[in-house]
Amino acid sequence: MLKKIIVALMLTIFTAFPAMAGSKAPVVTIASDCTWPPMEFVNKDKQIVGFSVDLMKACATAAGYDVKIKNVAWDGIFAGLAAGKYDAICSSVTINEKRKKVMDFSAPYFEVQQSVVTNKDSNAKTLDDFKGKNIGAQIGTTGYFAIKTVEGVTPKSYDEIGLAMEDLYNGRISAVVCDDPIAADFALQQADYAKRLKIAFTVKSDKAEYLGVAVRKGNTEILSLIDKGLAAVRADGTYDKIKAKWFGSN
Amino acid sequence: MSEKKVKIEVTDGASIPDSQDPSMFNAWWVSFIGAIGMIAYLVISKPDPYRNILLFVPDGIIVTFEVTICSIIGALIIGLFTGLGRISSNKFINLIASTYVEVVRGIPLLVQLFYIYYAMGRVLQVQDMLSAILAMSVCYGAYMGEVFRAGIESIDEGQTEAARSLGFSKRETMFLVILPQAWRTILPPVGNEFIALLKDSSLVSILAVADILRRGREFAAESFQYFETYTMIALLYLLITLILSKGVSHMEARLNHYDR
Repeated sequence: MLKKIIVALMLTIFTAFPAMAGSKAPVVTIASDCTWPPMEFVNKDKQIVGFSVDLMKACATAAGYDVKIKNVAWDGIFAGLAAGKYDAICSSVTINEKRKKVMDFSAPYFEVQQSVVTNKDSNAKTLDDFKGKNIGAQIGTTGYFAIKTVEGVTPKSYDEIGLAMEDLYNGRISAVVCDDPIAADFALQQADYAKRLKIAFTVKSDKAEYLGVAVRKGNTEILSLIDKGLAAVRADGTYDKIKAKWFGSN
Repeated sequence: MSEKKVKIEVTDGASIPDSQDPSMFNAWWVSFIGAIGMIAYLVISKPDPYRNILLFVPDGIIVTFEVTICSIIGALIIGLFTGLGRISSNKFINLIASTYVEVVRGIPLLVQLFYIYYAMGRVLQVQDMLSAILAMSVCYGAYMGEVFRAGIESIDEGQTEAARSLGFSKRETMFLVILPQAWRTILPPVGNEFIALLKDSSLVSILAVADILRRGREFAAESFQYFETYTMIALLYLLITLILSKGVSHMEARLNHYDR
């Protein structure tokens, strides 16, 4: 019996391999931390979906390659890229100088601002109004770096933005800072949160913040594939369709 | 009439090496000097990441100690009462203690932490440190309870009978006769639990408690120096655990001293 199973397994493997090798299109493995709705998240059917997921798939179709999206925890997502566990990261990664030193970025595909989610009864207008209070954000995100620079505020770093939101809802912290589409999703789409939470304001920054696809330093092959795809979807209007699907018409 | 020569060897009993080998070449000293030497070498030879990491985490070390020490005290108290409850002749108390052990032992600590902090958060408004300590104490209390129970049961029944016939009450028998003797059996496994608790305290970083691990992860997330950061964190945990284990074995040695 065991022998039969082994033989059957071997046969499947041997027949499967040539089938895979048969498709010539290169496969680009992309890591995403799927806890960041509506950019990338896991839906009720356990599918990885979201704006950036659709975008990556459209790029692949346009430029003639295949994508495989891997759900990877944010903490360590850059270490995995450096270690060669995947080819690229498309997970709402903000392009900044510090990151540019250790990885290469595609053309920017989205502009974000840092939004502050807080309780409805709060009348804070800037981050300085939270002096002596706790503010939460996801570890290693631009939102967390923003609150770390504010004097007199205790920054708290969470593994996932959802945990920070839950803590805000439970009243242990006073605000959460994250990318504006995510803030909108949590504060306005989820029934429980919408009753009590609001987006108070966006953190003022002198520089515009863009998201990009990160690849290993010097990996021009993958980078050119992705850039080619991005240019193509922007040109033929697919980009606007995807954007409208996830963020409405505006 | 041939004589048979019988060789009789005189020994001091079973030849088990002394665990308290006082020389500098036992495992503890090798690890301890190795860890300190490694940290010193890294900090001096490559101050750029390593010294920065070391300067970044001290408040995390204090938090780790706070969580560990408070949880040890909590777990000891819960453990003592659970152990006594498990051997109680009162069926109701026995059932409560046994159910507590069964339930807590069957749920991973990480899940308990999530449960107490995030799931119960809407009802139970406790701060992060407190819920971390609460969860650790409740979890380790169950294990400690089993250690206490085994230790108490290891004492010969004659001790209880003798104490009772000398006129000690049930409570006096337990606290003045049985527990002082059982403590010797209990201490080594309790020491193990202490060390396991210290290491598991790294799990509280999931509750946004700024312990060693979370501080390290914050450093790594910003600098991308994962290898350097986790090397330093591993060495720090090792150093702290070694110091704790030395403390525990000192206590054991003192108890054995009175034994002789």
